[in-house]
Amino acid sequence: MAEALFYVLGAGAVLFAIGVVRARMPLFSVLSLLGTFFCLAGIYLLAGFPFLAATQLLVYAGAIMVLFLFVIMLLNLGDAAELERHAGLSLSGRRLVVAGSAAALLGLVGLAAADVDAVFAAGELPEERALDDLSTLARLLFSRYMLPFEAASLLLLATMVAVIVLAKRQREKNPFSSAPGARAQHSEEPVQGGVQR
Amino acid sequence: MNVPTDHLLALSAILFALGVLGFLVRKNVIIVLASIELMLNAANLSFLAASRHWSQTTLAGQGDPSAGPIFAIFVILVAAAEAAVGLALVIALYRLKQTVALDGMAELRG
Repeated sequence: MAEALFYVLGAGAVLFAIGVVRARMPLFSVLSLLGTFFCLAGIYLLAGFPFLAATQLLVYAGAIMVLFLFVIMLLNLGDAAELERHAGLSLSGRRLVVAGSAAALLGLVGLAAADVDAVFAAGELPEERALDDLSTLARLLFSRYMLPFEAASLLLLATMVAVIVLAKRQREKNPFSSAPGARAQHSEEPVQGGVQR
Repeated sequence: MNVPTDHLLALSAILFALGVLGFLVRKNVIIVLASIELMLNAANLSFLAASRHWSQTTLAGQGDPSAGPIFAIFVILVAAAEAAVGLALVIALYRLKQTVALDGMAELRG
């Protein structure tokens, strides 16, 4: 049962990955990526990493996907005319396909979870079933991997600052063409036309 | 699950190859970023497969197979940071050039 489920999820992951690469529109690519993440989460569950599976769903399928979708919608990359042109199915048919595949994915991951539960209950495996036991991971993170952990927190802080700087609306039209040192003077007040600083 | 480690690694290799393909072939920045996420996921899968292999074979008992999940967590963290910076760059570039196609981007003259 678990083996068959693994091969189904693996095939699904590969098919969705092909969808990521082949999609004509970024929206479909990102949605296929979501499918790959779901399949991989199911595989992690089956392989004995329930915490990693949950992290995969929360961080990847939750946070990163939402980020991608936000950007696609902010930039208005998925225009409706192209959507109509490239899709073979009617709108309701497409909705059915999307809803059906979402339901199938959720069902597969649920099956994987149920399967892991059954394995737990049957006591088929030795006491330490989960390979990513949380207390073990936490102890390791705060002892042997202390330095990488702190580096990771620094990385996140740096990322946060970098993203704010990058995404902030620039005052000048072309941020790459501004002379060095000119940026510091463009603080908050609007730039007056023709004024030499 | 009694799937041999080879099959997990093969799946990881296929996903990574598809990610490389997308990264090299596609011109849309967002699809390129999605391909990078695919590659990072493939790496994660191979980390976990190795950890599982470690805990199941004669190596069991030596060292800690938890290194696999810990590295996977770090990979997820780096992937999140990378996605955030990459998408912020996409927004900045879109503001500059009104497009997300990689063809016209030669600001660095690389």
